[in-house]
Amino acid sequence: MNIHPIKESIKANIQQSEDLVIKELKAEEKYLEVIYINTICDETQLQDFLIKPFFEIGENSHFLSYLLSHPKVKLFDSKKTVQEELISGKSVVFFENHIFLLDSKLDKNNTVTETSVEVTILGPQSGFSESLPTNVGLIRQRYPEKTLVIESTNIGSISKTSVNIVYDSKKVDQDVLNKVKEFLSSIEIEMFQSGEQLLDFTKKSKRTLFPTIMVTERPDRTAVNIAAGKVILLIAGSPFAMLMPTVLKDQMSAMADIYQTYWIGKFLLIVRYIGLITTITLPALYVALTSYNPEVFRAQLALSVAGSRHAVPYPSFVEVIIMLLMMELLMEASIRLPKAIGSTATTVGGLILGQAATEAGLVSNIMIIIVSLGAISNFVIPISTFSFAVRVSKYFILLLSIFYGLVGVILGVFMLLAYMVSLDSFGKPYLTFREERV
Amino acid sequence: MNQNVKRMMVVLVFLLLGFFLTGCGFKDIDKRLFVVSVAIDPVKENPKRVLVSLKFAVPIVEKISNESFIISQEGDTIAEAVRLMKSRVDKEIDFSHAKLIVYHEDVLKDEIEPNLYYWFIRRRDFQEMSWVAIGRPTALEVLKAKPKSERLPSNSLFLALGRDGTETAYIIPEYLFDFKKRFGEKGLDPLLPIIETKKDLFDINKVALLDKKKLKLELTPKETMLLNLFLTESPKTALKIADGENSFIIDTRAVKTKYKLITENQKDPHIKVDIHVNGRVEEAQFNVRNKDLKQYEKTANKDLEKKVHAVLKKIQEANVDPIGFGLRYRGRHMEKDDWKTWQRLYPELKFIINVNTNISDTGLVE
Amino acid sequence: MNRYFLYLVLLNMLTNVIIFVPKFLLQYRFDGMLISIIIAIGVGMALMYVDSLVFARFPGQGFPDIIQDQLNKPLKTIILVTFALFWFIAGLLTLLGYIDILHRFINPELSKAWLIAIFLLILCFVIQIPTKKVMYLLEIILFINVPFIVFIFFKAVTSEYLSWDSIFEAGTHFYSMPNISAVAVASYVFSGYTNIIIFNRLFKVKLKGVNFLIIFGLSILTLFTSVMVPIGMHGVDKVSEYIYPWILMVDSLRLPYSPIERALFIFLMLYINITVISVAVHWHVAFELMKGTFSRGKGKKKNRIVLALFFTIPILLVIRIDYMQPELLSVYWLIARMFFEILAVLGFFFFLKRRKV
Repeated sequence: MNIHPIKESIKANIQQSEDLVIKELKAEEKYLEVIYINTICDETQLQDFLIKPFFEIGENSHFLSYLLSHPKVKLFDSKKTVQEELISGKSVVFFENHIFLLDSKLDKNNTVTETSVEVTILGPQSGFSESLPTNVGLIRQRYPEKTLVIESTNIGSISKTSVNIVYDSKKVDQDVLNKVKEFLSSIEIEMFQSGEQLLDFTKKSKRTLFPTIMVTERPDRTAVNIAAGKVILLIAGSPFAMLMPTVLKDQMSAMADIYQTYWIGKFLLIVRYIGLITTITLPALYVALTSYNPEVFRAQLALSVAGSRHAVPYPSFVEVIIMLLMMELLMEASIRLPKAIGSTATTVGGLILGQAATEAGLVSNIMIIIVSLGAISNFVIPISTFSFAVRVSKYFILLLSIFYGLVGVILGVFMLLAYMVSLDSFGKPYLTFREERV
Repeated sequence: MNQNVKRMMVVLVFLLLGFFLTGCGFKDIDKRLFVVSVAIDPVKENPKRVLVSLKFAVPIVEKISNESFIISQEGDTIAEAVRLMKSRVDKEIDFSHAKLIVYHEDVLKDEIEPNLYYWFIRRRDFQEMSWVAIGRPTALEVLKAKPKSERLPSNSLFLALGRDGTETAYIIPEYLFDFKKRFGEKGLDPLLPIIETKKDLFDINKVALLDKKKLKLELTPKETMLLNLFLTESPKTALKIADGENSFIIDTRAVKTKYKLITENQKDPHIKVDIHVNGRVEEAQFNVRNKDLKQYEKTANKDLEKKVHAVLKKIQEANVDPIGFGLRYRGRHMEKDDWKTWQRLYPELKFIINVNTNISDTGLVE
Repeated sequence: MNRYFLYLVLLNMLTNVIIFVPKFLLQYRFDGMLISIIIAIGVGMALMYVDSLVFARFPGQGFPDIIQDQLNKPLKTIILVTFALFWFIAGLLTLLGYIDILHRFINPELSKAWLIAIFLLILCFVIQIPTKKVMYLLEIILFINVPFIVFIFFKAVTSEYLSWDSIFEAGTHFYSMPNISAVAVASYVFSGYTNIIIFNRLFKVKLKGVNFLIIFGLSILTLFTSVMVPIGMHGVDKVSEYIYPWILMVDSLRLPYSPIERALFIFLMLYINITVISVAVHWHVAFELMKGTFSRGKGKKKNRIVLALFFTIPILLVIRIDYMQPELLSVYWLIARMFFEILAVLGFFFFLKRRKV
């Protein structure tokens, strides 16, 4: 095979850049040429697997058989793939009349990190890393079954992010698997960085409120879900796994549930649901009860609410919106701020601003209780994508309560329920009272 | 992008609507005045007009509670008086927490105007379970009283009538819906507790009995308590038993009252009343001994029988029926004209009372 | 599924108190109310049994699917549109009745048109989701609300102010001639079964006999509580003075240990959900029947037209409703409904026979 034209065309096609290395090695009668990009290529591997043997092995034919038998070396298949592999970090080796691809990809960020989003008290504390092979390894470790299938695919027209589909072929629901594959092939996106981007693609309108895919950073949760027959997506460069299908029940369950005794787990689950209802309805209920239906209160409460609102110059819903906005700003700020200042800012904002606002007569005492209780309840929800969805949906109910009072609150909750019921996650109903066994 | 702008516009329009359109129905709690109790007094000069007084609660600000004020207004009807009152206060009058309606005796003395209670039923914001009562010396005086233990305006009355606070058999609370029912129901007559005020203190231990039109009879506290044995399930009370010169008191734990109408025998129609009393001796003017319990029980039976009989006779003579004997008769007879038969029967009925007392012990001491 | 059938029937039993059934029956409390109720139970159970028997022959198929290839198009369209109209009115009257209640007790200052608009928005969303999902929603709503409603029923029955003698007095008027319109009105509590004409799509197994037993028990309980409890609370003689005997009965309950003291508000809140889902079920049937008249492929645009009709007609009606006496309208409809039901069930029955040959 004449490799020269191929070599030239590769060189011509790759844009000349600082990090492109073209190196020629010569020893006695042996001659080898290697092309790689040194910023994404692990040069120690190159040294160990290519350069050292090149000088240690004498005969040309011996070195050739070494290359052919090395597990990290692949023979050339086509010009186009060679170029792509080169960009993704492999080294192209020209030796005699052969072209080899040496997998010398630099595997950065393969350290296993501690969980930071889904923290539990008990159970494993480590999360996924940002390296795909490491993550697959983590799952393999936790799920040593020979039925575990790992399929590979790429998403993103520019980013070409490699994505692994992981499932247990014995337990997976075939319908779901087909739907997942269909879904993945239907995605049109240029830059695919992390699985969370998929959430918007689950609906045709590309606008969803409630996530129908779970994003988790916990290998233990992932393994448990594989055993439950779910399909897992692992994305290169993202420390999160995507679990499909995901229904409301999954969003409300924390890993801690299975590390607790039965009744404690159930109790925590109930607390979480109470938190969910509280955070969604509380601000709206305040508006509805103070401005439309104060007769629902007990007399004593009605009088103290009326008393605490005495100095407030504007209607209740303006009061609520001001406070909620303040709370949202605080939450956003505490994410952006460096960790060292974050807690200070929240304290200053939460305590001092709240206190000052009541004393200045901008908001009532009871309002402060309601807003902070609502904010705290929001953090009870274990899955962060869902907790964000809940954070938004309370405004919808608030809006209804402004126009319709108590009736609006009830109808808003009904609407949310209906919306959740109408959702599907890869063929599974998002919210049902009891799953139907067909 | 264009679509997003459109959506934003829609949201903005909605928000703006929120600021302008919420006028209907949207009224903040601090723009409302809560009425806690209503008093209805007659006007001396003109018996057709009424004097309506409303007691408003002032919102609790900075630990100062139990602030209230009263506004009174004359009018041809309650509705008119309330309308006139609206122009005298700065905020919307809200009746949803009005839990007590007090009438002056004279309003009920000769033929009560049905509108005086229908008005409350008709309005959606009055609770069906507001209490109704008679106020003495006037209804307004009852509203004005302010007991020391009270933390919210009129709350001590609510507690007393609602049995959340004190539990006593001397109070027979009456709800608005029940009051109205008793006006309409043949064979069940209305009654009203009487609230007497003296210098910020209440005394609710009497009950007034009405027929379908007006006040007929007022019972003494003791009679009220005995009547209550028929109206409430196992009231907690103390029964004073006279034993010749001496007397002792039974603290009841459970009292069960049953009655049966025996009218089939046309010659001797009577009502058979069975009262079971369970209790213990709480106080005695003589030394009580556990082994004599049987004898005390006998004494108690006899004494109670006599007293209950006297109360029932008194009620019967006034031709009122607060217990609902008539309704019981109607409910047990299939004839279409059973009510007429009963009206004929009732004045001549005899009462046979059978009390069965069970004294468990004499308390902690003998 | 068996329990789904139960839910459909239960739903109508729950809504009867807002669609003037107690009010109407109580007018006859001295003139054959009880005997009418007993006849209604018989008639209702019989109709339900026959209807479920007919549809059990077509597992997984709704009425439009069954007649799809059986009848010619104009006839089919006429039948389906008539049916749809009836279901639409069924939902509409429930909705209008409840809007009236809300307007009286919760939001007296809000205009009815404005109030009904939000209900319609939600309904338009709910009725177009798949039949199965409507059922899921129904199940969730029932399980959230029914325990509280049962609690309030329980509170009412055990109330100290419930006078049993008044109830017995109503019982002593048992031997009277039954009244045909009272029978028709009372049989409303059963008519939830008619929704099977669409919801049969979900029923793939035959109904078990125990379902009918449960329904029989529940219907007796429902009918007697919906008339007897108001009688006990408001007295047998003057109970018919009230426009909403049930609602006022609930207002006579005090819950001293609940955060909301007046049971009325809890009750009305719960019934918002019950009403919306009840109307949604009826309208979903109407919507699906309308869809059955469209030929395949052209559905989307027509669906929107139907939805627009569902949205605008109630709003136009609610503006005029005060002059049309909603309670009278409801009663006329309740009576007409029974005869329509009998006709429809008989029709189904003979249709089945013809198919067999």
